[in-house]
Amino acid sequence: MAEHEGKGGDGGEVPAPRPDWLPDGCEMLADGEYDAIVMGTGLKEAIMSGLLSTLGMKVLHVDRNNYYGGECASLNLTNLYNKFRPGQPPAPELGHPTRDYNVDLIPKFLMANGNLVKMLLMTKVTRYLEFKTVDGSYVVKGGKINKVPATPDEALRTSLMGIFEKRRFRNFLQYLAGYDEQQPDTFKGRDLRRMTMLQLYEDFGLDENTQSFTGHAMALQRDDTYLHKPALETIKSIQLYVRSLERYGKSPYIYPMYGLGGLPEGFSRLCAIHGGTFMLQCPVEEVLFDDSGVAWGIKATMDGVPQVAKATMLIGDPSYFPSRMVKPTGMVARSICIMDHPFNGTNDAESTQIIIPGRQVNRHNDIYVCMVSFSHCVASPGKYVAIASTTVETSDPLAELAPAFELLGPVMERFDDVSNTLTPVEDGTADRCFISESYDATSHFETTAADVQSLYERVTGQKMDLSIDPEVEQEEG
Amino acid sequence: MASRRRALLKIIILGDSGVGKTSLMNQYVNKRFSNQYKATIGADFLTKDTVIDDKLVTLQIWDTAGQERFQSLGVAFYRGAEACVLVYDITNPKSFEQLDSWREEFLHQAAPMDPDNFPFVLIGNKVDRESERRVSRQRALQWCKSKGSTPISYIETSAKEAVKVEGAFLEVVQMALINSAQQPPEIYVPEPITLSQAQTPYQSQSSVDSMCC
Ligand SMILES: Cc1cc2nc3c(=O)[nH]c(=O)nc-3n(C[C@H](O)[C@H](O)[C@H](O)COP(=O)(O)OP(=O)(O)OC[C@H]3O[C@@H](n4cnc5c(N)ncnc54)[C@H](O)[C@@H]3O)c2cc1C
Ligand SMILES: Nc1nc2c(ncn2[C@@H]2O[C@H](COP(=O)(O)OP(=O)(O)OP(=O)(O)O)[C@@H](O)[C@H]2O)c(=O)[nH]1
Ligand SMILES: [Mg+2]
Repeated sequence: MAEHEGKGGDGGEVPAPRPDWLPDGCEMLADGEYDAIVMGTGLKEAIMSGLLSTLGMKVLHVDRNNYYGGECASLNLTNLYNKFRPGQPPAPELGHPTRDYNVDLIPKFLMANGNLVKMLLMTKVTRYLEFKTVDGSYVVKGGKINKVPATPDEALRTSLMGIFEKRRFRNFLQYLAGYDEQQPDTFKGRDLRRMTMLQLYEDFGLDENTQSFTGHAMALQRDDTYLHKPALETIKSIQLYVRSLERYGKSPYIYPMYGLGGLPEGFSRLCAIHGGTFMLQCPVEEVLFDDSGVAWGIKATMDGVPQVAKATMLIGDPSYFPSRMVKPTGMVARSICIMDHPFNGTNDAESTQIIIPGRQVNRHNDIYVCMVSFSHCVASPGKYVAIASTTVETSDPLAELAPAFELLGPVMERFDDVSNTLTPVEDGTADRCFISESYDATSHFETTAADVQSLYERVTGQKMDLSIDPEVEQEEG
Repeated sequence: MASRRRALLKIIILGDSGVGKTSLMNQYVNKRFSNQYKATIGADFLTKDTVIDDKLVTLQIWDTAGQERFQSLGVAFYRGAEACVLVYDITNPKSFEQLDSWREEFLHQAAPMDPDNFPFVLIGNKVDRESERRVSRQRALQWCKSKGSTPISYIETSAKEAVKVEGAFLEVVQMALINSAQQPPEIYVPEPITLSQAQTPYQSQSSVDSMCC
């Protein structure tokens, strides 16, 4: 680690010799030479820099903004208005402009036993954060909000199904609860490695509605291709949902106090305590490539001086790389609504996830609504922040969210956003640019965690070890 | 918030690199000092139980982890701090001149309810090097008087020779307790959950499980 700049007026520091890789007219950015340069402090990038520095790599982590989180930041009212209504002051009746709110730009919940929680436990970033459960997980049918039935008991009580279907669904859940991949006697004659999910559903006599409900709201599938794949993977997803739910009782989801922005900051601190260098407000203008197209560094001009840092790998979100390196995969529409009331039909839950199945409203993609409030310290007392999102299917994206607005009722403020989702063209092995995917419309972190695992594998050549069991006590290090 | 319920006080230490933040923390919590200068890496936060006015208080003292080097401390670092220790080095005037910007940055990021009366404590460190002093006590006291309606407490310490370190932190704790007693009662917030069960939030030293606000 190089000397600190502001080390004090002791003087006597010997200027390092000018390295030969430094282009003429440029200064070194921070310490100049690193193992990895990470661009953007979104959650995925922050997890990567945290993990790489714990592996002993020397990491430079930069962001063009003066706050952490990039696309996954949690903004206070002032910053939220700056972003969506430049020049307009926040409405005073909403609450304190900088203290009360932490509004996520990308709303998501953590599955209590999911992979992001495992990453938090593994790295002990949990020590910087405090979580609370989400009050409820709901699904819309016929315009009405229903609790997602996930236990045999709830299956019997739900109004989502008729009486006979309820019993079949309960049998299915009981089979799942008992199923253990390691214990053949729990298979009850079914080989889930070979049997497809559709065959399994049919084996239990579950109708199409129950199938899609189970596949989408519990196994969190986004389309129906899973039906024709071996059942085992889907079964594990449903077990994850059910076990996460059993963990804290109310819903399978948890959410950090003060918003999701605490997550990237926690992983960034992990990187910093392992020697990582952090530079916010760093106007990265260029990724530098050698003649064979391999990236070797970045350039940023600060105080009129071009500065360059070098590394053997560059990791970042799509916005830091030339557009030819990423391709669009679609669009996501998101609407942030501030309200002074909870949802009807949720027992006044102070935080909820609501899925509006696409088929219910004549569309392909489900609509997700995440609602959090003062009880997670993200809004002023008595205020709720609901974010509706979906994958765009038409040329009028915001109109697609209409079914969500109907559920919401009157809102005090609404901020709309439609953005492209991007994915890298190459996997980074050749050009040393490891680019994350844009955040999708899903309201949970399982796809985010999967992208981090993929990045990790591409960068280190090794699979991430997520063998930690969230339900088993961890030794404090 | 939760911190009050658990009598857990989050305290953050700010000041230029090299003024002795980590050394002060280490001296107070671990009674150790090292002459070797290594820009802080690996320091996170230290916790220490202490009894004040018959009350058990767990202090959680947060170091900057080096993220202050390029002014890159995030809002989560500041959030929920119940007192802020500003440190400068009495032999280094530049570290003294930076105090205003540290204080302003804190008030901006932490956005405390009552910024004028927020408990800051100023520490002038390295008094064992009195002969090299370049910031007078007078000048420091003047600065303390000029901030807010109640003057900031000022203490001169040596992390190296353990001079007034204990007393300085005691002052910080007392200020923090007075401040939190004056805050309006919080709205009811249900108890947060614990992600991993192994944590014992009250243990001293080492780390604490869930960060408390
Ligand atoms: C969370 C969730 C996700 C879904 N995702 C998809 C999807 O991706 N693709 C897809 O094709 N369909 C999905 N569905 C089912 C879809 O919403 C409709 O229920 C289905 O298309 C039937 O609509 P309908 O108007 O023809 O019948 P309806 O008149 O609504 O209902 C016909 C029968 O099905 C039962 N039923 C309706 N909805 C459900 C339900 N959700 N769960 C159990 N029983 C139900 C009713 O009680 C009735 O007996 C999902 C449902 C849920 C709850
Ligand atoms: N003489 C003397 N030296 C001290 C004292 N306190 C700290 N030092 C020395 O000052 C240097 C910097 O101390 P640190 O505690 O690492 O400073 P810091 O503020 O944490 O610095 P960063 O982590 O870089 O922000 C080290 O060499 C310490 O040994 C003191 O009271 N007297
Ligand atoms: Mg230090």
